[in-house]
Amino acid sequence: MRRLSSIGPRLFPIERLSNYVMQRVRARRGLTRLPYVLEYRNVFILPTAFGVGFGLMLVFMALGGLNFNNNMALLLVFLLATIAQLTTLLTYRNLAALQVEEIHAEPVFCGEPAAFHVYLRNPEERARFAIQAANPRVADCRDLEGLAGDALTVHQATAHRGWQPLAPFRLETRFPLGLFRAWAWLFPTARCLVYPAPDPNPPPLPTTGEGHGGQTRRQEGEQIFGLRAYRLGDPLRRVAWRASARHEQLLTREMEHPHRDACELSWGRLEGRSVEQRIAVLAAWVLRAEQRRLAYSLDLPGVHVPLGTGDNQRARCLRHLALYGL
Amino acid sequence: MKTARPRDMYWVILTFCVAMLPQLLSMPAQLMPIIVLPIAWRLAAERWAWRPIPMPLRVLITIITVLALVATHGGLMGRRAAIGLLTLMLSLKLLETFKVRDARIVASLSLFLGATQFLFTQGIPMAFYAVSITVCAMVALALLHRREAFMPVGAVPATGASIFAELGFSARLLGLAIPVALVVFLFFPRWSSPLWGVPEAALDAKTGLSDRMSPGTIQSLFMDDSPAFRVDFQGTVPPRQALYWRGPVFWIFDGITWSSSYYGRNIRAPERPDADTAPWRYRVQMEPTEQHWIFALDYPALVPDRTRLTLDYQLFSPRSITRLRTYEMASDPEFMDSPNLRRTLRQAALELPADFNPRTRALIDEWRRETPDDRLLITRILRHFNREAFRYSLNPPLLGEHTVDEFMFGTRSGFCEHYASAFTVMMRMAGIPARVVTGYQGGWFNELGGYVLVRQSDAHAWSEVWLPGSGWTRIDPTAAVAPDRVESGALEALGVPRYMMDFAWLRRMKNGFDLVQRGWNDWVIAFSADRQLNMLRPLGLGDLSAFKLVLAMVMGAVLVSLLLLPLVLRLRHAARRDPARRLWLEFQGRLARAGVVTRASHGPMELAVAAGAVLVGARQEIEHIVSLYQRIRYAPEPPPITELRAAIRAFQPNG
Repeated sequence: MRRLSSIGPRLFPIERLSNYVMQRVRARRGLTRLPYVLEYRNVFILPTAFGVGFGLMLVFMALGGLNFNNNMALLLVFLLATIAQLTTLLTYRNLAALQVEEIHAEPVFCGEPAAFHVYLRNPEERARFAIQAANPRVADCRDLEGLAGDALTVHQATAHRGWQPLAPFRLETRFPLGLFRAWAWLFPTARCLVYPAPDPNPPPLPTTGEGHGGQTRRQEGEQIFGLRAYRLGDPLRRVAWRASARHEQLLTREMEHPHRDACELSWGRLEGRSVEQRIAVLAAWVLRAEQRRLAYSLDLPGVHVPLGTGDNQRARCLRHLALYGL
Repeated sequence: MKTARPRDMYWVILTFCVAMLPQLLSMPAQLMPIIVLPIAWRLAAERWAWRPIPMPLRVLITIITVLALVATHGGLMGRRAAIGLLTLMLSLKLLETFKVRDARIVASLSLFLGATQFLFTQGIPMAFYAVSITVCAMVALALLHRREAFMPVGAVPATGASIFAELGFSARLLGLAIPVALVVFLFFPRWSSPLWGVPEAALDAKTGLSDRMSPGTIQSLFMDDSPAFRVDFQGTVPPRQALYWRGPVFWIFDGITWSSSYYGRNIRAPERPDADTAPWRYRVQMEPTEQHWIFALDYPALVPDRTRLTLDYQLFSPRSITRLRTYEMASDPEFMDSPNLRRTLRQAALELPADFNPRTRALIDEWRRETPDDRLLITRILRHFNREAFRYSLNPPLLGEHTVDEFMFGTRSGFCEHYASAFTVMMRMAGIPARVVTGYQGGWFNELGGYVLVRQSDAHAWSEVWLPGSGWTRIDPTAAVAPDRVESGALEALGVPRYMMDFAWLRRMKNGFDLVQRGWNDWVIAFSADRQLNMLRPLGLGDLSAFKLVLAMVMGAVLVSLLLLPLVLRLRHAARRDPARRLWLEFQGRLARAGVVTRASHGPMELAVAAGAVLVGARQEIEHIVSLYQRIRYAPEPPPITELRAAIRAFQPNG
């Protein structure tokens, strides 16, 4: 498992302490199982910097009021202090009892930020206001209607292909006045598949043939690819008379070359490059072949993805490339 | 999603405007623009999305305005100047307040500014002021919080249909906080003496009787209906004619102005009545005046703390009275002041400026020859006031050099101060030691509250003469001219309204309302360590240490909180009542008990399919319920909700 937050070469003592505490907490708690309910034992609350400042101001006001025995000033101080105290309850209740139902992320290419969608559900009738996700800075914020659900998005930078776990993050709120912050840590098991970053300048696609790409289906060939409705200008010799007799219209045979418009994307073609370079080139090829709507197969040592095309084929190939050797 | 137009800054500005209003009104007029202009600029900047003023220009503006403030106040010492500076700085801060952080500082410090205003006045209107600034600040902080929270997202969604959502929320928060705050207020330990000095000048202006009396002094007080003090008598209330509240006593006359003497201020009374036998006992709650006198009936038998009883029986406080003051007092009207008059004092009580008032002097010399007896002479003069065409008037003509002559033979109309002054001068001319006493006469008995209210307009002046055998004796020449003055008060004696809106019924209403004011004074302004002790003693908590007090306070607050907690917890519930939704949840619950796994992402139709697959036997029933729910939600003419309720209640998938 990766360390908690981005750990740079130099850390302030306070950060080291908080990292240590986080690791202890995580060791005790283990990973968060979903669905997860924010309960009193995992919701914490402390004043914000503004809250501390506000409190200090109240202390000064109270000192002045006591010294001058100025009861109106004291009343104002007590009123404000009581309001502040009441907001702790509101802050806590704004977060407590929320349910984290699911965390989900679509695969991304390495270098793009991974977007984890945290699905929250408000099981109570009262609305929740300004629920934030923070890792460690506030990333997203939503109001939740009573009995409604919504998703918060946590972005996380990606640097390597493969599975990227979602680092621990906080759900927090400063509702209603920003004097206090209530938060709960989540240690999620969610992970995002990170595809390899495609090579920006890959070698040409290894197509079998002269490289006419997407035009192949319109060319003549040896094997029948399929039948389609007759269009003006089709050569008569390609009309499928027998099949047309069974239908109520003329049909034309479509021909194709089985080897010329398919590409075999294979590991072996990229001798002389490092593993990561090969993977980057293969990923770029997959994207390009998909873009040109070519059928393609992928060969990696120990993996063979047969000829195919479409989103599933693309996802399958990229997944193998992402996880190759890991 | 509906997006709110950012209005947080308007609320921050509003908070500041409300908070600085009392300060603005008490500021010199030339400083007002430099407070108001930044606010106007900031409002315009918010309205038309202007950019902030460049930094160097802001610094320049700040320097210029601070210099203007210093020039106006002659320095930055004194409370008004210091708070003026705070106001000015906050106002200038608005010029650079564009971020949440700055806006929060302005809103919070506006509350601080509000607290400083209580140093000058703590009347009931200030309670509304406190509530207003609190509500404004709460709304501003709530809106700022939302702006900050949604910063990473961009637009801020609206919480309700209008600002009333936030206002209502703040008002409810306030309503819940007030009872707890009151408990804390009652139990919070107070300091019996201040940690650091309380500056001398606290009020903006001195009020009440002063250490000088010249024609017009009391007249100006006469227009002032504000309370001077309130008196709670133990036992019987003395008759109105006996209510002479003694204040500054004047010995020295320069022809126009009376002033007090060195003796009067600095020599203590050699003896005073016995407090145990004094017939009148009472408690006085006195409004701050910035002057030095506290008031008592003749003759005071007790001397409150920080006060001295002077030779002429003034109760003189060396420090000016800057806050509400409450003292116990006893008075004995039978006490004889100075059976023997010392020579120096006699001389001081006979001194007159030479060559003033020759006509009066001639008249008195003549009368003195005819009436050698002191008492008979006094009676004769009073009869003269009574019989001749002397009038009691609020607007007497101005007097020139020989004030008494002009008054006696010319204008013949005046106010208590004219009569007291003229009478005392005449006594001195006749060789009878005399002095002028100022104070208040009468008062309004509030039957509901059982106390006497004395207003500034009850100010009065009278004379005292020293007679062998009876010492200093009070003579009130005004009573000879207008007996009503003493029997029913100056306003009735005058018989004409003082100003346009001066109606008797309005005065009665004001007098009645004074009961509220008095309660406010008693429980809010004058609440102190002593009062706290008095309050706690009957509860058996009299001798608590500060620690136990805090404990009691915390327990009290917790108790009140527990009572209020259900209200807090329901704070957000009321708006979210949706019967169809509740029934739908109930339906989901029934399905869950029957083993149908429902997911949040499932809509009603998907749920119907999923449930139908598990509970094959109940498929029709499920579809019926789902269709009912959908029609209630979406159909132009939805079926009654009772139908859905009946269908769901009847739904027993296990049975």
